[in-house]
Amino acid sequence: MTRRRPNWIAGGLAAVWLFVVLLPVYVLVLAAIQSQPNYNSQGPLSLPKAITGSNFSAVFHAGFLRYFLNTLIVSVAVVAIVVAVVPPLSFAIVRGRSRLSSGVFRLFLLGLAVPAQAVIVPMFYLITKLDLYDSFAAIILPTAAFVLPVSTLIMSGSMRDITSELYEAMALDGASSWRTFRQLVMPLSRGGLATIVVFAALNAWNGFLFPLILTQSSQVRVFTLGLFNFETSYGINVPEISAAVIISIVPILLVYLFARRALVQGLMGVGGR
Amino acid sequence: MAVVTRDERSAGTATNGRPAGRGPFLRPRAAQDVGRPSIAWAIPATVYFTIFALLPLGVVVWLSFTSWSGIGAPTSVGLSNWRSLVSDPVMRESILLMLLLTALGVVTQIPVSLLLGVWAAGRQRTRAVLTALYFIPLLMSSAAVAIVWRALLDPNFGLPHQFPAIFGNGDLFGSAPDAIGILTFVGMWQWTPLYTLIFQGGARAIPTSLYEAAAIDGAGTVRQFFTITLPQLRNTIITSMILMVIGGMTTFESILILTQGHPGNSTTTTAYYMYEEAFDNFAFGKASAIAVVLVVIATGIGLAISKWTGYDKMRSTLEGV
Amino acid sequence: MSVSRRFLWCGVMAALVLAAALAVSACGTSGPGAAADPKGSFEIADYGDANDTLEQSAVNTYNATPEGHKVKAVLQTFPGANYSEKLQTIIGSGEAPDVFFNWGSGSIQSYVKAGLVQPLNGIFQSDPQLNTSFLPNIMSAAKIGNDYYGVPMRGTQPVFLFYNKSVLAKYHLSPPATWSQLLSEVGTLKSRGLIPIALGGGDQWPELMWIEYVYDRVAGAQLVTQALDGDHSVWKSSASQQALNDVKQLIQSGAFGHSYDSVKFTTGASTKLLVTGRSAFELMGSWEYSTAQGISPSFAKNDLGYVAFPSIPGGAGNPTDLVGNTQNYYSILKSAPHQQAIADFLKVMYTPKFLTNLVAKGWLPTTTDATKYIKASPSPNWLTWQFDRVKQSAHFQESWDQAWPPQQITPIHDAVGSFFDNMNAQSFISAMAALPAA
Repeated sequence: MTRRRPNWIAGGLAAVWLFVVLLPVYVLVLAAIQSQPNYNSQGPLSLPKAITGSNFSAVFHAGFLRYFLNTLIVSVAVVAIVVAVVPPLSFAIVRGRSRLSSGVFRLFLLGLAVPAQAVIVPMFYLITKLDLYDSFAAIILPTAAFVLPVSTLIMSGSMRDITSELYEAMALDGASSWRTFRQLVMPLSRGGLATIVVFAALNAWNGFLFPLILTQSSQVRVFTLGLFNFETSYGINVPEISAAVIISIVPILLVYLFARRALVQGLMGVGGR
Repeated sequence: MAVVTRDERSAGTATNGRPAGRGPFLRPRAAQDVGRPSIAWAIPATVYFTIFALLPLGVVVWLSFTSWSGIGAPTSVGLSNWRSLVSDPVMRESILLMLLLTALGVVTQIPVSLLLGVWAAGRQRTRAVLTALYFIPLLMSSAAVAIVWRALLDPNFGLPHQFPAIFGNGDLFGSAPDAIGILTFVGMWQWTPLYTLIFQGGARAIPTSLYEAAAIDGAGTVRQFFTITLPQLRNTIITSMILMVIGGMTTFESILILTQGHPGNSTTTTAYYMYEEAFDNFAFGKASAIAVVLVVIATGIGLAISKWTGYDKMRSTLEGV
Repeated sequence: MSVSRRFLWCGVMAALVLAAALAVSACGTSGPGAAADPKGSFEIADYGDANDTLEQSAVNTYNATPEGHKVKAVLQTFPGANYSEKLQTIIGSGEAPDVFFNWGSGSIQSYVKAGLVQPLNGIFQSDPQLNTSFLPNIMSAAKIGNDYYGVPMRGTQPVFLFYNKSVLAKYHLSPPATWSQLLSEVGTLKSRGLIPIALGGGDQWPELMWIEYVYDRVAGAQLVTQALDGDHSVWKSSASQQALNDVKQLIQSGAFGHSYDSVKFTTGASTKLLVTGRSAFELMGSWEYSTAQGISPSFAKNDLGYVAFPSIPGGAGNPTDLVGNTQNYYSILKSAPHQQAIADFLKVMYTPKFLTNLVAKGWLPTTTDATKYIKASPSPNWLTWQFDRVKQSAHFQESWDQAWPPQQITPIHDAVGSFFDNMNAQSFISAMAALPAA
């Protein structure tokens, strides 16, 4: 018996949603391949009269390759920090016996509610005091910090689905917390790990407020800031903006596709492989 | 903590399929404590988080008792920021608006992403391709999303112009209900992929044995959905709700770019009001007070949901499977 | 054994992360900031937009000089939409730029009051041309108290009534010279199904332009001058109410259509109405010319018309008065080292090469010898016409949202936006009366 029989209601909804999702993407792509006068002569849905790649080359000439590299550096570092500290933390929350561990969970739940823009001014002073203003660290450190609560939530959720019988089996084996972590918890939490990797990467890639306030030079400018800068100068030029947006999506789309495979592989039924 | 006798321990091992008595019991500790992480595991994350998130938050609380424009030093003004907030009609409306938008967000996003996530959990290849496509909105930065929707909804050159029957006179950004509708819709467009992904992961983790058992019992697809899928996804739904509520409360980038809080102040949520006061009016003291209110409300609701649903007890939905 | 393994793993991870962060921050740290200034450079904060190439060329010119070899100039652009906030955030800190772009008057007032800006009298003494090369009424817009604080570095941007020549020709209309002519033409255009006047209500400041001009024509320039001085009663005057009434009449006639709140200038949506002939008029700053050019170069060349704001007979204002952005200025941080080098850099602002580049980009310079550069520019007619208007103007009113300090930008915009929505004169008057003195 198949686990999922064809579900026509959901299938229909899925088709409708696909249309809704793709409509703006269609508009975006159409705008990006037209010249500005052509784009402005008709509505956003109409097929282009002529196609051009000039918008993309203009975007590259505006330094977006550098911005792309910078964003990549920032994203990798943020993901590294998150992957290093969140699984141990979630493990302590889910399996820790001390009252402190549920306190820690509440602490991070509190952190969830802190909006980044609320702390942006003190953050500016903290970063300048640490002499990190206008550096990659100025973006990486706060961004990673603000990704922690959600990642913890997701990771804890994933870990808690490991049943106590499995933990007890490890305990009976005389396994230390470290071995339990390495041999039981991490392999079974791969789905959660993949999700937080994607989430952290996405946050870092599309992060805007911290780079905006904590950096200024073009050497450390990230993609979103580059887009913002570009829009201020050429905002009226929707085709070029659209080209810039598309360029910003493609790399992270590739990452998502690769992470998805890991996600799918990691999501196996608990205890059943 | 209950005292576990040697006999009980041995008895416990026989029922979970593992050979009993595997490995000697070296440590005179209750079985429940073996392999448990000490609090030291949580230290790196907590310290890091305290420095880069909680410390600034503390400064914000302090700033709420001062007046500061960014130049010079903050001057202490006691409770006057707080007093002015209490009598500030924009503040009151912003809180109501925030709750409204959050509720609208939950009501639109949870059902859609739940259905999509469960559907997408199926292993057919078309579903995999489609899921990748659904993810695209999440890949776009808020600025990009707003640019695209602003162009699409232009009253003279966008969809409202081509389809006046649906959009009326096209002045969507000039009327409060329409502007709120746009924010809700764009929010849904942008964030449903995330929750779909979460639900998809959750649905994939449901053991087939449950469905097989139900099918043997004669339950149809719909009944299976309500009796198995939904309860199994309980923790996931709660996680998503907490994320949605708090995310909804702290969103401001879309408002910044789509409506700027207009028409009038009808789309000025508390988070946006805070940004306005800080960066348009350079009243960092007042903005900090607003920020504190926001954090208190959002945390309160998050904790309430978590307590009410027993989420923080870390129970697995698979107990007893 | 397992305990030490665990600590080892944690330690390794922590070390890796730390190393990564440090390595990355080391190779990512930018060029010299104000604090970590290696001997011999100063930083200029610039408004990030399409004209940055101009500012960069000025920096390059200076850096090629002997002085520039000793003390280098470094240009930093902040995205335009965020420029004021960024500047305000860093100006009081160690990251403050040595030289910064501003709009004069209200935009630098709080910095001057906080003692952060260098008065230029000393520099003017050693190089009088830094003062005398520019038109006096332009220099005085950066004067606070008795001291000058800014050197003009771009062009002046008055607001004019632009129109679509073909549309007017089609309906046998001529560019309006008086208010009543404008109203009747609006009526004609409306009956033909056009949106007579394109308005980017979504940005709010395009609406402000209408109010600024009508106030000037009806109540005269002194109303705003008095309000800036702190006289709140001027807003309640009968002239003020009359001005509001006139604007109300225009709005109610349907001149702007009904969906102007959803149309923004900053996305090009309002200019597009003018370019495509869906509207006949748009009241906008002189940058409308390059905006239209970006949308359709042929339209800008052949079909874009411009005229001064109509007169309102019976009003106290001088019909030659202009409203707009008087200029943009470079100001100097008081604590900046290398003050002499900075003064040498600022000299570029009145050099022939720089001014030639300026007009080539479509800007109208405000030097006393501007005419000769205008004649050699790509659009001499447009610039000459503009220059004549500026020269002949009895008064050039700085945009209200720049005349008052930045804290008042939102209240002013909100008051204007509300008035255009509900036409409640009383709430507009009380909102404006609540503004503090500039």
